[in-house]
Amino acid sequence: MAVSSGFKDDLLKAIPSLRAFAVSLSQNVDKADDLVQETLVKAWDKHESFQPGTNLKAWLFTILRNEFYSQMRKRGREVQDSDGLMTARLAVHPAQHGQLDLGDFRDALERLPEDQREAIILIGASGFSYEEAAEICGCAIGTIKSRVSRARSRLQEILQISGDEDFGPDAISTQVMTSPVD
Amino acid sequence: MKTLSKNTTAGAPGRQGRMADPLGANSEIGRKLKQYYDDLVHDEVPDRFAQLLSQLEQAEAAQDKD
Repeated sequence: MAVSSGFKDDLLKAIPSLRAFAVSLSQNVDKADDLVQETLVKAWDKHESFQPGTNLKAWLFTILRNEFYSQMRKRGREVQDSDGLMTARLAVHPAQHGQLDLGDFRDALERLPEDQREAIILIGASGFSYEEAAEICGCAIGTIKSRVSRARSRLQEILQISGDEDFGPDAISTQVMTSPVD
Repeated sequence: MKTLSKNTTAGAPGRQGRMADPLGANSEIGRKLKQYYDDLVHDEVPDRFAQLLSQLEQAEAAQDKD
């Protein structure tokens, strides 16, 4: 069956989000663009397995994510397991006057294990529900929830933010400096 | 760790709005996350992707003629 022009248009529309997700995952624009390209080719080839009316973006994200992990495995790199990983030790300098710098945030995000980073991106930025994110990652909803929660507390630790409200100089906790790394 | 406990308790699956709140607009992490991502989404998309899709389309059209 021929690929409809509507499908092509939908793919075109999805490219900016796909790229954003790819950069978030790979932390590298060139790799991200290769991932997007591979995803588009795969999506085109498998278009018949997409059920019209279902979430195309989620379908594409799933393909891209699978491609990312399969490339990582091919490169012989171990997929990071967030259990026991210690990223929090290297705290960046404290945010000044309640203004968190985007560059610092980017660095902090990069230090998260992939599984936590993708979870917090899917839920907190890409606009997916926990159910959709679980489907994209091929895991249970509870797993996504716990990854998001760990990602969030890890980011707070690295960025030395004590809480999520009333962020300001007074809210910067000094306890993260001295608290033991789990 | 006490700041986290209120948010880490798993809610009923249907109550996503509630669960998503820790990353909501009133959270610095939530705001930065969206800013980070929105910057990426609004990044200029290279032409190669549109070209790729056109090539795939043409290849298919050529195949259909066989």
